[in-house]
Amino acid sequence: MSLFFQSLVLGVLLGGLYALLAAGLTLYFGVMRVVMIAHSAFLILAAYLAWFFTTETGLDPLLSLVVTVPLFFVTGVLMQRLLISRLRPATLTMMSVLLTFSIALVIEGMLGFVFSGTQRRIRLPYSGESIELFGANIAVVKLIAFGLAAVSLGALFLILKMTQFGQALRATIQHPDAARLIGINTDRIAGYGFGLGLATAAIGGTALALDSTIYPSLHWHWIGPLMAIIVVGGLGSIPGAAIAAMLLGLGQSLLQIPLGTTWAQTIFYVALFATLMVRPQGFFGGRLAQRF
Amino acid sequence: MKVTTHHRLGVLALASALTLTGCMSSGSSDEGEEGEGPITIGISLPLTGDFSEPGKGVQRGYEAWADYVNDNGGLLGRDVELTILDDQSNADRVASDYEKLINQDGVDLVFGPFSTRLVVPAAQVAKDYGFLFVEPAGAAEEVFTQGFDNLFYAAPAVADDHYNYLADAIEALPEAERPKTAAYAAMDDPFAMGTAYGLKTRLEEMGVETVVDEVYPPNTTDFGSIAAKIADSKADVVVGGTQYQDAVNMIVSLRQLDYQPKMAAFSTAPTNPEFPEAIGDETEGILSPTGYTPEADYPTNAEFVEYYTEREGTPPAEDEANAWTTGQVVAAAVEAVGCADPDPECQQQLIDWLRDNEVDTVVGPLTWDAEGRPEGAHLIQQYVDGEIRIVLPEDAAEADLILEKPEW
Amino acid sequence: MLTKGMGLLVLAAAVLAFPSLAPDPFILSVGVVIMSYAVLATSWNFVGGFTGYISLGHASYSGLGAYGTALLVIHTGINPWVAMILGGLGVAVLAVPIGIASLRVRGASFVIVSIAMVLILLLVFQSWGEVTGGSNGLRVPRPFDESVLRPEQHERFFYLHAALLAVALLVWWAIDRSRFGTGLKAIREDEDKAQSLGVPTFNYKLTAFVISAFFTALGGGMYALWFGFLDPIFQFSILVGSYMVLMSLLGGIRSLLGPFLGAVIVGYAVEFFKNQYGDTQFHLVAMGLLLGVVVLFMPDGIIPAVSQLIDRFRPQAASIREVSAGELAEQRRTASGPGASTAADPATDDESTDRLSEGVQR
Repeated sequence: MSLFFQSLVLGVLLGGLYALLAAGLTLYFGVMRVVMIAHSAFLILAAYLAWFFTTETGLDPLLSLVVTVPLFFVTGVLMQRLLISRLRPATLTMMSVLLTFSIALVIEGMLGFVFSGTQRRIRLPYSGESIELFGANIAVVKLIAFGLAAVSLGALFLILKMTQFGQALRATIQHPDAARLIGINTDRIAGYGFGLGLATAAIGGTALALDSTIYPSLHWHWIGPLMAIIVVGGLGSIPGAAIAAMLLGLGQSLLQIPLGTTWAQTIFYVALFATLMVRPQGFFGGRLAQRF
Repeated sequence: MKVTTHHRLGVLALASALTLTGCMSSGSSDEGEEGEGPITIGISLPLTGDFSEPGKGVQRGYEAWADYVNDNGGLLGRDVELTILDDQSNADRVASDYEKLINQDGVDLVFGPFSTRLVVPAAQVAKDYGFLFVEPAGAAEEVFTQGFDNLFYAAPAVADDHYNYLADAIEALPEAERPKTAAYAAMDDPFAMGTAYGLKTRLEEMGVETVVDEVYPPNTTDFGSIAAKIADSKADVVVGGTQYQDAVNMIVSLRQLDYQPKMAAFSTAPTNPEFPEAIGDETEGILSPTGYTPEADYPTNAEFVEYYTEREGTPPAEDEANAWTTGQVVAAAVEAVGCADPDPECQQQLIDWLRDNEVDTVVGPLTWDAEGRPEGAHLIQQYVDGEIRIVLPEDAAEADLILEKPEW
Repeated sequence: MLTKGMGLLVLAAAVLAFPSLAPDPFILSVGVVIMSYAVLATSWNFVGGFTGYISLGHASYSGLGAYGTALLVIHTGINPWVAMILGGLGVAVLAVPIGIASLRVRGASFVIVSIAMVLILLLVFQSWGEVTGGSNGLRVPRPFDESVLRPEQHERFFYLHAALLAVALLVWWAIDRSRFGTGLKAIREDEDKAQSLGVPTFNYKLTAFVISAFFTALGGGMYALWFGFLDPIFQFSILVGSYMVLMSLLGGIRSLLGPFLGAVIVGYAVEFFKNQYGDTQFHLVAMGLLLGVVVLFMPDGIIPAVSQLIDRFRPQAASIREVSAGELAEQRRTASGPGASTAADPATDDESTDRLSEGVQR
């Protein structure tokens, strides 16, 4: 029983991180119909920056967010304006996949070149600490990572719901033409949407670096589950992605008890195929998916 | 238009076929000068990619060995010269590298690459051209069951036998003091799994119950759930079939769950000098098998350690020692047979000689069975008072074995 | 027509002469690798070129073909060539449900599934050790007996790969001229319109997909028999799949010989850079940059780009030409702007074209 409860807690903590990252992927797809393969490569890049920051300065990796979040936001805007928007609209979905894929390769290659292929891990004085809660041990670092993800997700939600920019962004996602008609500069909004999405990668990367080893090719490990999450959640729906992330994260964690780590990972792909077979537009929202 | 494009394509293809053949054969092949000039030795190593760290260690070992030989009169009176290619940790590349070394560079001898994954395809190429293949890494059982009659592993023991001394020590305990339950977690890698399952087989024979048996993919980074299972089982012994980083992660995760085993053994990682730093002060009592220690008093070892330390500034580790051992093994065969050239007859003589003879190396005297398995065992090390010391076998021990591991 | 035949003949002669020109077995083995790439890229192009659906995960099918062939040979001891074909057929059958799942919705899901397939198969083949040999890898018995030495093996496999490539090209050519091919190309240009014109888009896409998987699996199986060792990490690798895309795209996905040309260029470049620069991680960066450049500036590949360049210096009227919907839109967009930079307006299918005919079409 305690194992079950422990796994449940670990699953929730993992699901939180998945949710934040999937929200970023959903944003790109929403504003541009772009499947952003390089999302997880940027995640690992952020993790490396956090690691590098801590090794060089000896300060807490969380402080690196002050640099990485604005940096990634600007990078995202520039990427959308300079690269993605150059693609022909007719083949945008396919070609953007290839373009972001090639960006992922470049990031992976550069990371390997600069930091070598060695696995890295941030050494934290509190890495082995844990809090006991109803018989389950919760690692402090995992709790921080979850907190970071939850706060960012909450902030993202508030931005989208409460601000004018958020309304413009949602309008752009729902109906770009109509948004343009009422005077929204959809190009600029799409750029900001991209920047926002990439900022989630910066936060996620730092959270990841707290309690995990990183190496350049790790992003392949993340992109599969994340893509499965956004399809199950319904391409383009942020709440859908968050719910799917939580459910699948929990499912993965619980399935590890009977199946072991390797086979438990297949839950993402089983869910992906099941979704496409049964309900291709995704289970939560996802009006957009039908058209793509 | 269609016409010209096709035509052009044809010419282009022909031209590129010609440049391909022309350009790539520019490598110097020294045919017809056998017996003179340096002895060239071809090696492919993973200098980039997943295995780049150990790959570079092996490279340092090989280069130190070659310089040492050249400083001491060479091999058969000839200098040795290494040609090292990078296979990017990729099995396709490693085969094409040996193909290139043998055919285009015309090397006289080949040495093996790193890791089981790369040894098997490389050994196949060497076998097809009749070359002797001595390799410094590739300890897993699978290497030896493929029917390679040209292969020799230049280390004391295959992966499954790494924990033999520890198993012997546990067996020697009175029944009541032996551990009752054991948890195993191994990376899905022929070598890492081999070490853990070798010990598992022995412990199960003694009646130690297996309560957790987990295999995780090589690139696992989240050990939370594996640790949760092990902690939940409250096993007396935890055995990790690990490389480096996964062991660190697993130990951190186990500590997060406040699991306290009576005995903890991990392969590879604890012998890494960075390990105590990564884990903090909680290393006391952690066990690990090792194939090499600079302190060992085998005949040639002191010289090796001295030469290497002077060259590189640090004493050699296991990868470097295994590379050096490979050099020693091939050199012994070459000196005994008196030839070093790519001719299959010469290579066959080298193979036959190694089959029947014992070679003194820095990891001890080595002999091989018919499939190329070395017939020795690994030493067992343990962190005692913050230092990693040899604790088993007793005649080589630098410190006493701690049976009840302190809390971490 | 005559010169066209001549061109193909020269090409075939160049391919056939390669083994006797190769100075040593290593270069021959590089030739085999390049031919294998050519087979895979051409097979990929059945779906990529005709329908415009970009699969980043075709390594799934080459890997499955390789393992299928190897396991059949090992466990049943049947003739390796029969095993290879059975492996290909098995993969084709398997491709049906995968195709149904990924082609029902447009675009994005197809790419996602293609990548997911590689990742899931890597997991399965690594973990299911009893059957697949797991991460230890799997050795494949040789199709020829011991008396066939390694250099001769390379030569035979070079010709075998060339033969497989010829068959694949022939099928591609036949489809290209058929009604089926026209339907597929209609899907590529505008799926909605194609559907409203009565093209059974889903069935067509699925058929193209299955044919593509079949040939890719044959390519994988043949490679397995040649190389003799399978490791899941390298069989089910995203990188292998992306090589296929890069090669096809670089050469030109709409031309018959585009993928072949791309394979020669990329295969040679990989070997050349390795020879020159050796020990860096830059091969990933180079591959990424090259792919990015192709996508941004040359999305129709070298062959159309080159033939268009030639056309500029060749005043010649054209009969009928194919223009993709995307290109038309592009033309319309750039028509009002500074018109000189319409370099991104490529001729498709190496059919002749010039400024004049464009004017006529509009």
